[in-house]
Amino acid sequence: MTAPVLSVNAVCKRYPGVQALDRVSLAVGMNEVVGLIGQNGSGKSTLLKILAGLVKPDEGSVLVRGRPFAGGFAAAASAGIGMVFQEQSLILNVTVAENILLGCEGEAVRYGFYDWPKLRALARRQLDKLGCDIPPEAITGTLSFAQRQMVELAKSIAVEDRVGGDPIILLDEPTSVLDADDIDTVLTQIERLRSHAAIIFVSHRLDEVLRVCDRVYVMTNGRCVAECNAKEANPAVLQQLMLGTQLIEEYQRDGRQACLVEEIRLSVRNLRCRTNYQDISFDLHPGEIVGFAGVEGSGRESLCRTIYGVEAPTGGEVLVDGREVRFRGPADAVALGIGYVPSERRVEGIVSGMSVRENMTLAHLDVVRRGGLIDLGRERSLVAQLMQRMNIKAPSPNTLAGQLSGGNQQKVVLAKCLISEQPRILILDHPLRGLDVGAKAEIFRQVRELAASGMGVLLIADTLEELIALSDTILVMRDGRITARFQASEHIPEPIEILEHMI
Amino acid sequence: MAELGHARVSPVGRRVARREVGASTIAATLRRNVLAWTPALALGVLCIAFSIADARFASLANIHTLASQAALPLILATGMTFIILQGSIDLSVEGVMAACSLTFALLVRNSRTGLDLGVLAIVAASLLGACFGVANGALITRLRVPSFMVTLGTWSITSGVAMLISGGQPPQIRDMAMRNWALGDSLGVPNLIVVAIVFLAVGYLLQTYTRFGRYSYIVGSSEDIARLSGVAVDRFKVLAFAFCGLSSGLAGALESARLGLGHVQIGANQMFLALTAVVIGGTSLSGGRGGVVQSMVGVLILTVLANGMIFVGVTPYLQTAVQGAIILLAVIAATWHLRGRLRVVK
Amino acid sequence: MRQHALILFAGAASFVAFGGPAARADTPCKKEDIRFINSMREIAQPYHADLDKGGRLFVQSVGLNDKQYVLQLNQSDSDKQVSLMRAVLATNPGCTVFNVEPNNLPEVRLIVQTANQTGAWVVTHWSHPDGFYPYQQGNDHWIAHIGVNSLDAGVSVSRSLVNAMGGQGGIVALQGILENKPAQLRFAGLQKVLAENPGVTLLDQQTANWDRSQAFPIVQAWLSKYGDKIKAIWAANDDMALGAVEALRAQGLAGKIPVVGVDGIPEAIQAVKTGEMTATVSSDAYYQGSIGLAMGYCVLTGQAPMPAKWTNEQRNFNLRLITISKDNVDQYLNPPPASAYAGDWDCNKLWSRDTGPAD
Repeated sequence: MTAPVLSVNAVCKRYPGVQALDRVSLAVGMNEVVGLIGQNGSGKSTLLKILAGLVKPDEGSVLVRGRPFAGGFAAAASAGIGMVFQEQSLILNVTVAENILLGCEGEAVRYGFYDWPKLRALARRQLDKLGCDIPPEAITGTLSFAQRQMVELAKSIAVEDRVGGDPIILLDEPTSVLDADDIDTVLTQIERLRSHAAIIFVSHRLDEVLRVCDRVYVMTNGRCVAECNAKEANPAVLQQLMLGTQLIEEYQRDGRQACLVEEIRLSVRNLRCRTNYQDISFDLHPGEIVGFAGVEGSGRESLCRTIYGVEAPTGGEVLVDGREVRFRGPADAVALGIGYVPSERRVEGIVSGMSVRENMTLAHLDVVRRGGLIDLGRERSLVAQLMQRMNIKAPSPNTLAGQLSGGNQQKVVLAKCLISEQPRILILDHPLRGLDVGAKAEIFRQVRELAASGMGVLLIADTLEELIALSDTILVMRDGRITARFQASEHIPEPIEILEHMI
Repeated sequence: MAELGHARVSPVGRRVARREVGASTIAATLRRNVLAWTPALALGVLCIAFSIADARFASLANIHTLASQAALPLILATGMTFIILQGSIDLSVEGVMAACSLTFALLVRNSRTGLDLGVLAIVAASLLGACFGVANGALITRLRVPSFMVTLGTWSITSGVAMLISGGQPPQIRDMAMRNWALGDSLGVPNLIVVAIVFLAVGYLLQTYTRFGRYSYIVGSSEDIARLSGVAVDRFKVLAFAFCGLSSGLAGALESARLGLGHVQIGANQMFLALTAVVIGGTSLSGGRGGVVQSMVGVLILTVLANGMIFVGVTPYLQTAVQGAIILLAVIAATWHLRGRLRVVK
Repeated sequence: MRQHALILFAGAASFVAFGGPAARADTPCKKEDIRFINSMREIAQPYHADLDKGGRLFVQSVGLNDKQYVLQLNQSDSDKQVSLMRAVLATNPGCTVFNVEPNNLPEVRLIVQTANQTGAWVVTHWSHPDGFYPYQQGNDHWIAHIGVNSLDAGVSVSRSLVNAMGGQGGIVALQGILENKPAQLRFAGLQKVLAENPGVTLLDQQTANWDRSQAFPIVQAWLSKYGDKIKAIWAANDDMALGAVEALRAQGLAGKIPVVGVDGIPEAIQAVKTGEMTATVSSDAYYQGSIGLAMGYCVLTGQAPMPAKWTNEQRNFNLRLITISKDNVDQYLNPPPASAYAGDWDCNKLWSRDTGPAD
């Protein structure tokens, strides 16, 4: 390996109550792709933020091209360090071109005046690298989530034109919300960029990391515990290192309940909503987990939002416990015992400015209320119970929810639904998105326990494997209709079988 | 040991997804365009309604009057637009107008001082307004005090400065050429509306073609992301306040020229009108959306409303209430489509 | 023994006769100790500036230091007017005189009560609440109320206007703030004159809230709507009248259409001279700003009897209004010297402008 273009030496960073980084050292050479893997809370994001200049380390140093890097966003930008954030950082009201070139418009803006054709051309150039056909003059807010992720990536790639061609690109979970084709594109880009850039690639997905990276660092609890060559790495060993303890047990489902309870918790008949979905009918029994498979646009998210009362259907009926219901809003659904764990937790799940405790009791204040005031003792004990049960890692219940790692935030959202008398129906919209192995296993266990205790669960999962592992019944949707049903008690489908009906 | 794989979806699936997205985007675009036109529609409805009530409303003479009455609010609204776009607010407009009005009156030929600067006085008053704006911006960005509080304070300070200069003896403007120009027309068009339109055009250019304009949208949408991207947010905030101050100074000077004296009360009620015009026009108070053309529509709505009520003969005892009711209706109409179940209203 | 008793009795009697705290005021003040306070709404308008000037002129005319003169501005805040008054009465209340332009009617009661309690002295102007008078029991420290018959003011200018337009045609009217008593009374004066002159019709009326910037667009709109049906413009005050003049000027009509206002500010007087305005009515701000101080000065230095000894009318009268039109405008073009008011400030002639009891 040639002289490192970026080297981190014994960097430490402490946040109140937690040592985020403990004497971490790593080095990246030019034309090298280095992977960084670890559980949520292992310090990967903090390290990236330090490298991007957003956070200053308490101790240790960072050298960029041999020169000390003092931190600060502007310095990072001029050193050619570009970062794709885990959570999107686009401005929705302006055009794609402006977003891609934000802060580095270069010759497209002279003396403060915009040369729009040039700006669009520059943006086009970045988008072309990704093989993306998004028009640069489109307003960013009109794009889909996946399209925006592409723009996000184009934005970070733009840095290579800023610094005479030797950028350092930091990718924080760039693929966790993309579908396979887009993931392929990203990984291909990384390959392409390698020829004149240094890349640090953070992801939970071991197979992706091992596919593109030259070397892999493993982080646990703020420490860098291993460094190895990707070619020689043993995934199992890496996983073990990530978790720090023994191997996680197979979370595949085994021993399914053969018969389900007769009673029907939720019944949907001929439900229709404009063009999102038509003619949906199914039943949900207590203790049953029904999973929905489908590509984006198949209507499954819209269906779940309808059942939760966010979108009104245009036809058909929804029956809860045999009685027809018409929701005027989520409050009605909550009152009937329907809980919803949203897919974009930062936007729809937690209030980052409130503490863990407050977030949990948010929707169900009546549980911890006595008279008109909150019974703090009761709240404390309930919250403590839940934190222990869901294994939420936070310095204290009063920590701001926004400061927790992604997985812990998701657990808080789940706990929020449980704080009242058990919800009778739980809707999980991509509950495992962005979580590491350990967190996923825990959520799996929680969900199964909840189902076993009599809750009906509707599930939309990221991957087919997760869906198969967790569901008792799988409904496959395509273009707004149900195209296939699988009962796990009769036959556990292979992913390929589901796929046929999905597309 | 099973790896955490993921399903591979074939290109067909992706195409399906894309088509869905495409279709809904077209519908969404159409819907958005219709909604963006709602204020203009409201304006049209008002004009038609008043014309039906009294045909003289639509006469050339009255259009001339409307243009003359809309001129100064237009200048103020253009300046205010950039502030609102950035998600800030400027309450000091009236005080700045007053201070600049007095300064202007003392610089032209007047009853108190011996100066006679003519057009230069307008420039000077506008620059003074810009200086006040820079002061506003500096206080807000350096001291990190919300714009609401700072501009509330500078409103009082500048009003006080105006009163000091006025000293109970408002300077009367004796420069008849200047006064006649402010009151008069060129080719049948009031001179002040020409100035206002030029100012609006400048505002439009700024908003579309300069970094200041584009970054105002960005800062208004998400200041965090702007800072993270290395944008010098503070500099653009100061620029926005400077521009708003400039517009206040210009408006104060022109109104003084029209009325013939430097007047401490010259800005009375103008801040509320400018703000209302900007909001009715469609620029959101939370920032990041809107523009000067939308604000122009808002100004026209308010001007037509005030003028029309006089034509229709709404009794003065009711006018304020009627104005408030119509503004409320306009805002409700403009945001009706957005009242989805999960929309947050602050 | 008997002498002691007699003195004690005399002392007790005088104590009883003068009701406690009032006994303090029995002793005249040294003129260097008297504080003269002018309490008014604001200073931006020429009317108020002249009130202030009048007050200062008086204090200088009796050879006293400007430091003994204090200006209190309440910016239309009634609570502030009262609290400013209270704040300054922490010391030497018995030798403090207030000349008050009350912000609103209800305050007058509070101001008078404060004076009665602390021993300070008060003269009020313009209006007071119905049924509440200086000459009532307990209001010994309310020296006098000098009212302005706004109805008469309205009538007077309206007559000038009607004469100027030859008794025929349409007029438009700009009202002041609709809740203000003077605004209502002046408009009532107009309506009275209109009733007497059936040839004149009121085409339209709007409020411009005493402000010329608001008057301007209203008159512009009227000119569009009524065109040359408008033969004259009536305004409840000079500021609005001048705004109307500017709107006329934009159409080249300034000086061709009669305009009247009320207040007698210098700018309006100039306009009367040039013919752009027909008439205005003045209550004489210099007088109003100084007469209360003069009354207090005379009482406190013993040169005038205690208010309790004044007649009812001397304690509650309407002042003489001056109608300024082109016939007499030359007299009023320049600010008056102190000597012009020597007659009014004379301690024997304090009531020289009395035209009759106020209501």
